[in-house]
Amino acid sequence: MQQREEKLLDASVESLISRVGHLKNVLHSFIYKLENEYERLTWPSVLDNFALLSGQLNTINKLLRNEKTPSFRQQIIIPLLLSPDRDEELAKLTEQRVPVFSHEIVPDHLRTKPDPEVEEQEKQLSAEAARIGPEVAQKQIQTLNKLCSNLLEKLNNPRDDRDADSAAIRQNKPSFNPADTNALVAAVGFGKGLSKCRPPGPVAPGHTGQGPIMSGGPTLQQVTIGGGSGQQQGMGPGAPQQQGQPGKMPCNIKTNIKAASSMHPYNR
Amino acid sequence: MEAPPVSVLPITGGTISMMEYLLQGSVLDQALESLLHRLRGLCDNMEPETFADHELVYLLKGQQGNPFLLRARRSLSHPTVPWHLRYLGQPEVGDKSRHALVRNCVDVAASHSLPDFLNEMGFRMDHEFVAKGHIFRKGVLKVVVSKLSRILVPENTENTEPLSLSYLVELSVLVPAGQDTMSEDMRSFAEQLKPLVHLEKIDPKRHM
Repeated sequence: MQQREEKLLDASVESLISRVGHLKNVLHSFIYKLENEYERLTWPSVLDNFALLSGQLNTINKLLRNEKTPSFRQQIIIPLLLSPDRDEELAKLTEQRVPVFSHEIVPDHLRTKPDPEVEEQEKQLSAEAARIGPEVAQKQIQTLNKLCSNLLEKLNNPRDDRDADSAAIRQNKPSFNPADTNALVAAVGFGKGLSKCRPPGPVAPGHTGQGPIMSGGPTLQQVTIGGGSGQQQGMGPGAPQQQGQPGKMPCNIKTNIKAASSMHPYNR
Repeated sequence: MEAPPVSVLPITGGTISMMEYLLQGSVLDQALESLLHRLRGLCDNMEPETFADHELVYLLKGQQGNPFLLRARRSLSHPTVPWHLRYLGQPEVGDKSRHALVRNCVDVAASHSLPDFLNEMGFRMDHEFVAKGHIFRKGVLKVVVSKLSRILVPENTENTEPLSLSYLVELSVLVPAGQDTMSEDMRSFAEQLKPLVHLEKIDPKRHM
């Protein structure tokens, strides 16, 4: 009987050690990633790491809850020999983290009670709980349970037409407008809504110091630029300014070029 | 008229013809912050980059129907940086199952005399706009979130009015002609931005 228990104990301790070892490795690689590769780290991979950690903690929990696992609480660990000398075996087992099995490390490693700060907080919490009395506590428990079950129900059963309110709230928060998408794509694609050729009214002051400008037709007509384009008289300082005018601009350039070519540079 | 396919590198080592894969969507102003947060998390970690560009679109009308279109872009926030001239071809109609818009793309840098040069060549400026926004990168994928503004007073890039209440979101990749592996990656990235933004391939001709 005792031997069976001992064997069970051994087996469960072995598996626990291996699971904890896995967890340690994952933590190690995660910390390494956070410290060294944080420039390349993306949020989904951080989430993946957390998910991995939580999965492993889950397996450890399942292992501990397993019926075949003897209750570890009933086991006691007593240090038999403490020495301030370095123990090579121990150092190898713990990967150089615990080189000496001495009086300093025993309170930390063989601790069964929680940390002093945690103990303080727990004491405070239990004092608080004792203070408020059983009925109030019961009511609080019930409220919490109700809230949780409401939330769970909402999360598990998405219903679009549950409430006029919730439906309205959901409708007020669309984050994009397909009509806008089309308008923007059209604008970037071929200038829909941008290239307005306004009929050339009064020319913007200070733009052209080139004398009278014949207001040609407002439509964008084909401009055959023959030899006249090379000799755009008086266009020098004006040209860079002219391009800034959408709509008005094509008309003006057309008329200017016409003016230039009508001067026939060779007929001077 | 289409640009002739560049299959051989010019002697001066000019441009290689690249294909641009594009997915577009938009996001309303009020949802911009959440989109930026999400992009900051999903994309490569770098200093958030904003840009302010002024783009002019030049047309050359030949004898045949389709005018030839060139886009000249300059930075308003870095005025001394060279201009960027870009040619975009017609979207490739081929694989209907391909998830992104694919088109030929030629990019060159140009000096500040570019508008004069284009005018001398016979191009005419068709329209211009100002685009301001943020740019993110994930590997080769580029995400640009920009607010397009119409220029009210010609030549005055200060005096602009926004074109709509949304920001344009574009996901693009430039790959050398021949590789076709990017559309899957783009689609999975676009999935991660739902339901904030729906990035899809939008054929500009449909909205003519």
